[in-house]
Amino acid sequence: MNSPLRSLDSISRRRFAEQVARTTLGVTLLPHLLNGEAAAPVDNKQLAGFGKAKNVIWLQMIGGMSHIDTLDPKTGDSKGPGDPIQTKAGYQLGGYLPTLAKDHSDKLAIIRSMTSKTGVHASGQYLMRTGYEQRGTIKHPALGAWAQELLGKSSQNLPSSVCVNRGPEHGNGFFSAAYSPLPIHDPEAGLQYAQFSASADVMSQRLTLLNKLDSGFRAKFQDTNLKAYSDFYDDTLKLLSSEDLSAFKLTDEKAAEREVYGMNKFGQGCMLARRLIERGVRFVEVSYGSWDMHNDIDEGMEEHGTILDTALSALLSELKAKGLLESTLVVLCSEFGRGPKINSRNGRDHHPKVFSTLLAGGPVKGGTIYGSSDKDGMAVADKQTTIQDFHSTVGHAMGLDVNQVVMSPSNRPFTVGDKGSVIIDILA
Amino acid sequence: MLFVSGAADKTVLIMKALHFLFLTTLASLPLQAQTTAPDGNANFRQWKDVSGRTVEATFRGVESGQVYLQTRNGFVHRIPLERLAPEDLKLAQTLKPEGLGIPKDPNVAQAAAVIDKGVLMGLTNAGQKPNALASDEQFVRRVYLDLAGRIPTREETVSFLNDTSSSKRANVIDTLIKDDGFSSRMYNYFSDMLRIADDAQKSKFFTYQEWLKKQIAENRPWNAVVRDLMVADGKLLENGATGYLLRDRGMRLDNLSLTLSTFLGANVSCAQCHDHPFADWTQKQFYEMAAFFGSSDTYNKKAGNYGLKGLREELSPREFGIARKLMYANQLSINDGLKNDQTLPDDYKYKDAKPGDLVTPKLITWTANDHRLRCYQDAQTAIKKGDDDSHLREVFADWMTSPENPRFAMTIANRMWKLMFGVGLKEPVTDLDDPNACSNPLLLQHLAKEMVRLKFDLRAFTRLICNTQTYQREAVTRELALGEPYYFPGPILRRMTAEQAWDSCVALAIGDKVDGFKAHRADSYSTAMNITTEVNIGIIKEKITEIGSLMREANGTLGKGKGKGNKKKNKAMQAASAASDEEGEFARPEMMQGLALARASELRQPERDGHFLRMFGQSDRQIADSNSEEGSVPQVLMLMNGEAQEVLSDPKSLVLATAMGQTKAEDKVDSLYLSFLSRKPTASEMTEAKQSLDAGLTSADLCWVLFNSREFVFVQ
Repeated sequence: MNSPLRSLDSISRRRFAEQVARTTLGVTLLPHLLNGEAAAPVDNKQLAGFGKAKNVIWLQMIGGMSHIDTLDPKTGDSKGPGDPIQTKAGYQLGGYLPTLAKDHSDKLAIIRSMTSKTGVHASGQYLMRTGYEQRGTIKHPALGAWAQELLGKSSQNLPSSVCVNRGPEHGNGFFSAAYSPLPIHDPEAGLQYAQFSASADVMSQRLTLLNKLDSGFRAKFQDTNLKAYSDFYDDTLKLLSSEDLSAFKLTDEKAAEREVYGMNKFGQGCMLARRLIERGVRFVEVSYGSWDMHNDIDEGMEEHGTILDTALSALLSELKAKGLLESTLVVLCSEFGRGPKINSRNGRDHHPKVFSTLLAGGPVKGGTIYGSSDKDGMAVADKQTTIQDFHSTVGHAMGLDVNQVVMSPSNRPFTVGDKGSVIIDILA
Repeated sequence: MLFVSGAADKTVLIMKALHFLFLTTLASLPLQAQTTAPDGNANFRQWKDVSGRTVEATFRGVESGQVYLQTRNGFVHRIPLERLAPEDLKLAQTLKPEGLGIPKDPNVAQAAAVIDKGVLMGLTNAGQKPNALASDEQFVRRVYLDLAGRIPTREETVSFLNDTSSSKRANVIDTLIKDDGFSSRMYNYFSDMLRIADDAQKSKFFTYQEWLKKQIAENRPWNAVVRDLMVADGKLLENGATGYLLRDRGMRLDNLSLTLSTFLGANVSCAQCHDHPFADWTQKQFYEMAAFFGSSDTYNKKAGNYGLKGLREELSPREFGIARKLMYANQLSINDGLKNDQTLPDDYKYKDAKPGDLVTPKLITWTANDHRLRCYQDAQTAIKKGDDDSHLREVFADWMTSPENPRFAMTIANRMWKLMFGVGLKEPVTDLDDPNACSNPLLLQHLAKEMVRLKFDLRAFTRLICNTQTYQREAVTRELALGEPYYFPGPILRRMTAEQAWDSCVALAIGDKVDGFKAHRADSYSTAMNITTEVNIGIIKEKITEIGSLMREANGTLGKGKGKGNKKKNKAMQAASAASDEEGEFARPEMMQGLALARASELRQPERDGHFLRMFGQSDRQIADSNSEEGSVPQVLMLMNGEAQEVLSDPKSLVLATAMGQTKAEDKVDSLYLSFLSRKPTASEMTEAKQSLDAGLTSADLCWVLFNSREFVFVQ
């Protein structure tokens, strides 16, 4: 435990690592990192796709979605239980995604050369949501919070970020708790308790008294979380008096249309996401678990691959039909992939070394395969892409300048995508 | 003498010897020495007894004819009043006790003073001062939340505030530490840490839950509990301790990664896939640790099949579904083979070994000298001694839970400290690779030694922490920057955990009956599911009937929330609950507004989405230590409009019934303040509240107001 690196803080560590990388590998750094001594950075705003995604629907598969059984099918030894499906766009998709393959291959850009160093769920999910490695001393914001910081609120009354099927963690990061995504644990139930528990008159008297009686306590403690609570009460009252409240009511949709998405938490979450972005919520994450298929991947893919195929296909069809796809970026990602080897328990184990992500809508060039894995799906073969690059690309599409440095309250510099590169090749 | 180690008795002996010298040789010092004592107390004076012997000490109070005096080093003298010199006797009868009052147990007082001294040194080095001592009102609320896991009831608060004894703080700690509430609180903490869930691996983990509850209730030493988790074998249905390894069935590496970070603060998770980028852990070391579990099979696919596939025709689809559940539940077991089969991964890229190589077990060390410790040497011997590899888990468990393990005691000590102060000495608590990278390394080392000295007795350790002045100080009021080192001038302001908030609501609704209902689900589940004989269609059908009735029972008790026709069911359940109350039993918890009024620890693990507990941050039990203390719009909506506020503003709830039983408006307000905030209202609060009641608001509205106040959900 006496490595010299341990005594440095994480920034100097990174700088040290960068120096090593530069001298030994010939890696060049983004110019603005060199203590401002180099030429002005490229103007990202002039690059393809900047700001064309007004909204983002971020589908995060929890547990590590097997790339080989979904977006990067293989033949040979690593082939999974399903047979790859040939699409009209010229590439193949995994056997459990028939609808996506049949109806939407022209809309998708798939990155098959994703790589990460994190093979643990919690820190992998954190990295995928924030674009930063997890540290003990700081919390990093997700893209929805970044957008709220750099672009402002997306709606007067609705929150700018919503996360469906999960709690609000990995949200606001070091930004104000007000940027935290509004969590909807059950899309079917929507926003619960939106009816006042008393008449408007009584409610207003209660609130007046509350503010008086609680003022001493609120004044005594200069605590961030305490202040955030008071802000949440303000936001809640604003939301309750707004007509946009009905955005959360999935039950307003026709039953038959809801069924197209699949009557499960992911399918309904995708439909709710569509309703929300229609009303002005900028960033909606829908997460969906059950991808940690260490055991019996055939059963797992049969169930969850099908749910994914149904919901994502329905979402893309509806966005297209409503003319929302051009301004809405849909991404599908997971904290890592799963290994080429089928283990002794008929499952696959964690595999961060190479995996895939999918993008559609907004400025995305449909029918594109970017990068590749090797024959077995074991390692990156071409155009290695980090999670930071992926984040930078999505952020760029949202109109966030990935070169813009924002200082945290602890006075440390951060950027959207942690200095990753925007993948211009998949944007138009 | 700063950090005393070794057995308590020995320490006391040494202190008594010093005390004797002290009394006989230091006869004449200045009457009042105004320097600050280790615990921050400033008022020291010379006390004299009838024989003319003196001691410089601070006055802690008088009880049962004894005067309690504490010297600068923390030692507490208990002297019969009549032994004091006459002028000092007079003083003792009039002086106000300093600080906390009487620490009951001189051993605890001494040990607490050493911790306070360690904290003070850290503060002084950082140029900071400790906070003032917390008021009795602040203290009683805090200590109930920390030890009983809920706010005190109105009666408990009043009785504490009216208690004039100088030892009341020590007394309430001693009472609460032994209570069921503390067991419940510890269970909630550990179930977040260990990701305890009813449903995992397509089965119910009830036996694991009840096993853990039993260990806590019996106060088994932490090292013994953890050792059991590591070495348990057999079926989950028969041995709950297997639940820890079976939670990650067939996922040896993930489980190990959690074991190392949870119990040892070894931040090795990166090393599962590659050498740790910053620490010294290598991927090979990780696999060498995994090899200790290399002969243990948690997957066990074949055992549960029982040839069920052929039964599909003989059973209805529903019955076949249950038959599958039977299969899953019965195949959850741990079996030790003879050979360690742990190999390096196929993409292993370092030069010291080849992909797929068999790995031999080897223990990690934190410093070059660690391997000289006896726990390492014992492990070496044990590895060599075994005829086969079936004992490897035990070798690992013995090493990990040994008092000599360089991190085991420190990790749990740091966790318990965090539980009581809101922040660990070292954060995050899952990374203790470098204990010096914290605000007070000496104190951290000392707490680890105390944990060992107290033989991993978590109640004794918590009792010790509660008796420190550091714990009994006011919470810090200024804003703390992210990542700022914290020197513990007192606890930090904390939002109640989900479980504390929920259990407090239950206590407000039904008072001290809060601990009445205990969930017992393991026995009936195991009895129904466990197949101990050879399987045939008759047994399966028999089991299916049993399970049907079990499922009805399990779904009925814990409440389903409001909406969709549940009201009727709730009435039926209330009737059932009343019926069982008459029999003097708590077979079912009391129900109100569709909520089962029982401790969080006795409800679903975790509760359903949308339940108060989940909305308030209870972990989904997928990720270790992931209870959240953050607010959100849905949470605020729930506090404003959800079932919990309905329960509290229902005239049947104890808190409102008690207030409405008062005739005068002032008494109503007083009663509600004491119930919700453990204090009386200030004069201006009283005026505001009374005016609002005059203007048409009711006591129920005041319940709503206090429930929605920040002062209610934040613990100072």
